[in-house]
Amino acid sequence: MTDWEQERVDRQVQPAPDRYRNALGKYKIDRLASCKGCGRCVEVCKYGVHIKPKGYTFTLRPQDQYCVGPDCAECADSCINQCPNHALVIRRNPTVDCMGDPRWSSDLILSTWHMAETGHTPPEHLECRRGETDGGFDKLVFSFEVEGYESRPVPAAVDPNEIDLSLDLNHRGDGRPQVHIDIPVYGGGMSFGSVSIHTILAKARAMTAWNSFTCTGEGGYHDRLRPYDDHVITQVATGLFGVREETIQRVRIVEFKYAQGAKPGLGGHLLGDKNTPPVARMREAVAGNALFSPFPFHSVYSVEDHKKHVDWIKEMNPTCLVSVKVSTPTDVDMVAVGSFYAGAHIVHLDGSYGGTGAAPDIAKKNIAMPIEYAIPKVHKFLVAEGIRDQITLIASGGIRTAYDALKAIALGADGVVIGTPEMVALGCVRCACCESGRGCPRGIATTDPELVEQMGLEWSTQRLINLQNAWREQMLDVLTRLGMKSIRELRGRSDVLCYIADDAAAGAGAAAGRAGAPVQAEEVAR
Amino acid sequence: MSHRHSPAPDLAEQILAGRSAVYSDRAVPGEPVEEGGCGVTGFACTVPVKGKFIYEPSKQMQNRGNGKGGGIAAAGLVPEQLGLTEEQLESHYLLQIALLDPECHAQLEKDYVLPFFDVASSVRQPHVTDYREVGLEVCPPDVHRYAVRVKPAVLAEFAKTAGLAGLELRALEDEFVWRNSYKLNDEYYASLGDKRAFVLSHSRNLLIFKCVGYAEQNVEYYQLQDFCAHVWIAHQRYPTKGRVWHPGGAHPFVGLNEALVHNGDFANYHSVSEYLKQRNIRQQFLTDTEVAAQLFDLWDRVYEYPLEYIIEALAPTTEHDFDQLPPEKQHIYRQIAATHIHASPDGPWFFIIARNKDSKLQLMGITDTSMLRPQVFALSDTGEVQIGLICSEKQAIDATLRSLAEEDKRFSPVADRYWNARGGSASDGGAFIFTIQPGANGDSGKLVLTCADKFGREVKVERGCVRCDLADDEVLDASGAGCPVETLSAEEVGERLRRGDVDGLFAEAMQMADWPAGQLRRFCHAVIAAADSPKAITAAVETLTRLHDRRYPTGDKSRATVVQVLEESLDQLFDSAPAFGEPGNRFWRRVDLGTRDRSAAPETGEEVLCIDAEGFPPEGDDCDAILLREAYQLGWRKFIVYRLRGQRFHGVGLGPATDGVRIDLYGSNGDYTASGMDGLEMHIHGNAQDQIAQIAKRGKLVIYGDVGQTFMYGAKGGEVFVLGNGAGRPLINAVGRPRVVINGTCLDFLAESFMAGDPLNGGGFVVLNGVEFDAQGGIAPLPSPYPGSNLFSLASGGAIYIRDPRGQVVEGQLNGGSFSPLTDKDWRLIRGYLEENERLFGIKVQDLLTVDGEVRAPQDVYRKVSAVKLSVLAASEAKK
Repeated sequence: MTDWEQERVDRQVQPAPDRYRNALGKYKIDRLASCKGCGRCVEVCKYGVHIKPKGYTFTLRPQDQYCVGPDCAECADSCINQCPNHALVIRRNPTVDCMGDPRWSSDLILSTWHMAETGHTPPEHLECRRGETDGGFDKLVFSFEVEGYESRPVPAAVDPNEIDLSLDLNHRGDGRPQVHIDIPVYGGGMSFGSVSIHTILAKARAMTAWNSFTCTGEGGYHDRLRPYDDHVITQVATGLFGVREETIQRVRIVEFKYAQGAKPGLGGHLLGDKNTPPVARMREAVAGNALFSPFPFHSVYSVEDHKKHVDWIKEMNPTCLVSVKVSTPTDVDMVAVGSFYAGAHIVHLDGSYGGTGAAPDIAKKNIAMPIEYAIPKVHKFLVAEGIRDQITLIASGGIRTAYDALKAIALGADGVVIGTPEMVALGCVRCACCESGRGCPRGIATTDPELVEQMGLEWSTQRLINLQNAWREQMLDVLTRLGMKSIRELRGRSDVLCYIADDAAAGAGAAAGRAGAPVQAEEVAR
Repeated sequence: MSHRHSPAPDLAEQILAGRSAVYSDRAVPGEPVEEGGCGVTGFACTVPVKGKFIYEPSKQMQNRGNGKGGGIAAAGLVPEQLGLTEEQLESHYLLQIALLDPECHAQLEKDYVLPFFDVASSVRQPHVTDYREVGLEVCPPDVHRYAVRVKPAVLAEFAKTAGLAGLELRALEDEFVWRNSYKLNDEYYASLGDKRAFVLSHSRNLLIFKCVGYAEQNVEYYQLQDFCAHVWIAHQRYPTKGRVWHPGGAHPFVGLNEALVHNGDFANYHSVSEYLKQRNIRQQFLTDTEVAAQLFDLWDRVYEYPLEYIIEALAPTTEHDFDQLPPEKQHIYRQIAATHIHASPDGPWFFIIARNKDSKLQLMGITDTSMLRPQVFALSDTGEVQIGLICSEKQAIDATLRSLAEEDKRFSPVADRYWNARGGSASDGGAFIFTIQPGANGDSGKLVLTCADKFGREVKVERGCVRCDLADDEVLDASGAGCPVETLSAEEVGERLRRGDVDGLFAEAMQMADWPAGQLRRFCHAVIAAADSPKAITAAVETLTRLHDRRYPTGDKSRATVVQVLEESLDQLFDSAPAFGEPGNRFWRRVDLGTRDRSAAPETGEEVLCIDAEGFPPEGDDCDAILLREAYQLGWRKFIVYRLRGQRFHGVGLGPATDGVRIDLYGSNGDYTASGMDGLEMHIHGNAQDQIAQIAKRGKLVIYGDVGQTFMYGAKGGEVFVLGNGAGRPLINAVGRPRVVINGTCLDFLAESFMAGDPLNGGGFVVLNGVEFDAQGGIAPLPSPYPGSNLFSLASGGAIYIRDPRGQVVEGQLNGGSFSPLTDKDWRLIRGYLEENERLFGIKVQDLLTVDGEVRAPQDVYRKVSAVKLSVLAASEAKK
C-alpha cells in the first residue's frame, strides 16, 4: 500500500499534434512555383492540409499528415482539381515507403500517430487494424470483416454506451484485494535506462488516467513514479536491479519477469553507453558498464522454487497481486498451470513478435512460440484443468493495434499488455537504434540528458491518453458488431475469428474481403 | 555372491541388442511428462528404521511437492516382516506390482509370474480401507508382491536364446527379470490409454511404493509405519500437469538394483533418450527420472563401470576442476566424456539413489556440475548407531533426526557433520555415498556405515565420543534449583548472571574439555534457574548462545551432543518467558501457535518477544514470519524465534528503516530469511538455508554456520558475517555496497556479475578467509581457499579479498577479474570487518595473519581480486 499522495490524471482527449515541424504523411503534396497564393485550396480542403494564416501572402507548407490521398484528390472539388493554376501535385510520400516493416507497416505507424494526435480512429486511407505480414494476427480477421459472411445467430443490438471494457485481475478468491482496470490493456515494463524518464512518466500518467497500470521494468523504481504508485507494477526481473522491499510493498501488483518473448533464454541487457550515471545510481551499479541480467533467476530452477519465490513476494506485500511473465516455449501450458498452483494471480504470456532494437536479431521471432498459438493452447489447458476462471491470462508480444488486442482476447486471453504501440504513439519510427550509443534519436528510448529534452511530459501523456481512447472506440465498435456487452464475453470466442487463407495479396485489409473459405482460428491454433 | 569380472564387451553389446526381443510396436508414442521440481530425502542407518521416520522429513518438505506424486523406497529389509528367511531375502527378487486395475491380476500373474518364476511368497500389501482417511484424493493402486527366483530351466533357455550363455548366472537372472518387467509394463501400462498395472520394483531387498499424493501418505496408506529398513528414500513430486490419476510417473524409479529419486529436470531429455535409443533402451514412463534410472542401470549393470565412472558420466568434471585432476584421471575422464557426454543430464538435477549391490546397501546423492539444486548431507555417529542423511533442505535432516531421537535414545537429534557437495568437482566429485556392510573383523558381524566421496575418500566423524545429552539423567529431574556445578556453585552462576558477566561465565565453560559429561547440563540448569531479572535473562541468553555458536575444544564429549544440550537449554530458557496475560517477568513475552491471537503491543519495560515457531506453517498467511511482522507493527523491536522447523521468510516484509530491530533465530531456519532486509540486525544461530538475504539493502546479518544457495543474490548492501561456507552462486548480481566476510569458502560462482562500485570509495566487497575449525576450535586453512572454477566472473565493481598466502587461486578461475596487491588502504578497510568477525566468532585477526606458525604482513596473506574493464561490458557493441 502506498503512503504517497496519489495524483489524478484527467482522461480527456485533446489534440496533441506531432512534435516535429514537418510531420510525415502517407501522401505528399508538392506546391509548384505557379501557386499564386489565392487560398482556394484552404477553402476546399476538409482535412486542414492547407493553412493560410491571416496576413500571409502564401499558404503554409501543406500539412501532409492530414491528407487522405487519391480518393479525395480525384474528386472534382479537391484542392488538386480546384487549384486555378494547377500548382498542386499529390504523390505517395517516398519517406513513408522507407519507414516500417511488414509487422509495423508504415500505415500502422502513421495511424498510431494519428490516434495519438486526435484520440480517434484514423480515416480509411490509413490501415489501423493489421500489418502486412503473412502470419500472426495479420492472418486473422473478425467474421464480420469477411464479405458475405453472415453471423448466425444475428448479434443482438447493443448500445455502445453500455459496453463494459473493464477487467478484474484477481480471480483467486484468496482474500487479497480486487484490482480493477477500466480497459483490458496495461503497459509493459520498460526500465529507466532503456527509456527516458519522460517516457516512463507519460506511460504511468496515461494509465493512471485510464485506471490501468504501467510497469517499472527492471531498472528500479524511479522516485518520480511515486505519485502514480497505485498504477505501477513493480517488476522483479532476474537482475533484481533496483528491487527493494519498499518498492515491492508500495504497489498493488508485482510482476516476476522470468523471460521475454522477444528473447527467451536471455536476460535484460543494457549496453554500457546507456548506463549513464543517473541510471547506474538507481541500479546501484557501475556507470558505463553494460548490465546483463542473468537468465533465469538464479534462485529459481524449478516450480517449487517458483512457488517459494511467489510466497516471498506475498510475504513482503500482503495485499499485492502477483503476475508471472513468461515467454512461450512449447510447454507454456504447463508453465501457466504451474504458476497457478504456485499462487500467481496473473499469468502473462509474452510472445515472440515484440521486442525493440535491444533484443538480438537472432532471438527475435526465432525462438518462442507465436503468441496466437500460445494463447489458445494455454486457455484451453486451463479450461480443461478447471482453473480458467481462477486466473487472469494476459498476452503480450506484438500487440500493435486494438484489433490485435481483441483477437488475443478472442483467442482466450483476458487482456493484453502493450509496449511498442506506446513508443510509436510518442513518435517512434521503428529505426531499431534503441540500444546503442546515446540511444533513441527521437528522445524516447534514451537517458541522454540532451535527447531526453526533445519530448515534454504533458505532450507525451496526452498522446498516450489519446491512443487509448482511439483503441477504446474501436473495441466498442467491434463488440457492438459482435453483439457483446462486455469484453469478458469475447474471451475464448475464437469462433468469431476467421483465418485468411493463403493469398498472394494477403495481409492488406482488402484481403479480408476476398477471403476464401474461412477457417476457424481455433482449428489453426491447435 | 561371487565377484564378477567384467564381461567381454561383446556380451554387453549382446545384452543390449537382445532387448529387441521385448520391444513391441504396441507402445503409444507420447510426449515426455513435464517434470517440475521436487523435494528429495533419504537416509541410511546401521539399524533398521521404521517407515514412520521417513514420514517426518517428507512432511517437512511437503511444500516442495504439490501432493500429486509421492513415493518412497526401502532397502535393507527385515526378513520376518516379509515372511521370508534371511537367505530368501538376500537371494530373491521382490517383484512388486502396482495394480491400477485389480481385475487384471489373475491374467497378469498367469502371463508374467507363474511360467517363469519359483515363487517363495505372494502377498497383497495391506492398506487402510478408505484412502480418503489419509487425505488422499486418488485411490492408490493395490500392490501385490512376489518373492521370486527365475526357474532354472527358464534361465537356461533364456541364456541360450538370448545368446548370453557367457554371462554370470546372477547377471543373467537380473537381465531376465529386467526384460520380463519391461514386457509386463509394455502390455499393461505403456501401450494403454487406461493404464492397468506396472512394476513398482523388482530388486532384491528393496521395495518401492508410490501414490498420487505426498510421499508420507504411502506410509499411511500402505501401513508402513512399523515396516523396517536400513535405507529409506522419499520424493515429493511437483508435477506441473494438474490432474494425475495414477502414480506411474512418480518417483522413485527402479533400475534393477537401485531406486532413484530426482529433484530438477533435464533440458536434454531428448538427447539422453536418443543416447539410450542408440543402445537399444526404450522408455515407458516418459519422465526424465526414468531415463536417469536407465542410465544408471546401463552403466552399472551392463557396462559394469565402477561407481566413480558412473558419477563422472552423469556429472562431468570441468574447467579448473578438471585441471586439478592427475593426468591418468584426466585421460580416463576425457574418454568418459567423449563417449557419454550426450547422456549427461543437462540442467538442474540432484539424484538420491538407494541400492543393494554385492550385499552392500548404499545410499548416494549426486548433484549436477553447476550445482543448481540444493542438497545437504549429514552424518551422525553416536557410537551405538550410525546414520547418513541426504536431503534437499537441512531442516528435513533435522526433522528426521529429531523424530528418531525422540523414540530411540541411541540416536542424536544433531548430526556430527553437515555439508554440501560440489558438483563435478575435483575435490569431492559432487557425490557422496553411504555404504552399510558388515564391519571388519572385531565388529563381530555388526553393520558399519561408511561415507565416501566419488573418489572413495572417506568422510569421517570422530567416533566413540561421550554423549553429554544422555549423561546424568538425574539433573533433568532436579526441580530447577540446580545441582552444584563442580567448579562453580549455582549461586555463583546466578550472581555472575546478575552482574551481566557473560565473559566470565563463558571463560568458565571453556573448561568444558575437562568437565564430566553431565556437567554441561548442570551448568545450563544453573544459568536458566538464575535468569530472573532483565539483566540476568539477557546474560543467560547471551552465555548459552555464545556457547552454542562458538567452536572450542570439548574434550571427550561429542560436539553434536554439546550443541544439542545447548539447544534444549535455550529452548527451555525461552519457554520460561511468560505468555501474554501470564504473570512473570515482563522483560520478555512468549507467543506460540496456541496463543498467537493473544499477542499485543509491548508494555513499558517489555523488550523481547519470543516466538515458539513449532507447528507454524512454513509460509502463507498463518506462518510465524507474518506473526513477527505483525508484532513489529505493534511496536516490538527485539525478537527471538526458536524451535524453528524450516519456517521461511523471517525478517521479510518489515519494510525500510528497520534500524534497531534485532531478530535471533534458533533451530532449523528456512529459505529466504532476511531477504529484503533494510536496516535490521539478524543473527542466525546455526546453518542458514537457501536464498538468504536476497536484495538485502542495509543492516547486519550474522550466520553462525554455513549458508545455502544464491546467498545475497541481487543484494544492494548490508554487513554480513558467515562463520562457515557459502554454497553456489553467493552474491551473484549484487550491486551497491554489500560487505561480507565468509570464513570458509564457497562452492562456486562467488560474486558473479558483481557490480558493487569501488570498495575503497563506499562500494562493496567480500572477504574470503578459506579456513575451517580444527577439533580444538582453532582455525586451519582449507585445502584451497576457493575450489570453484568461477570467481568474480564478469564483475564490473567491488572486490574480493581472499586469504591465500600460498597463492593457490589462479588466474584461470577469475574469468575477468584480476589480482592486485593488497594496499594499506585495502587493509584498513577490511581490518575493521575482521575485527568484528573476531568479536562475533572468536576468529582472531592475529590467527588469520598467522601462516605456518608465524605472523605475516597482511599483504603476504590476503590477495585482492578486482574488476577490470571488460570489452564485453564496455561501451557499444560494434554496430550491426
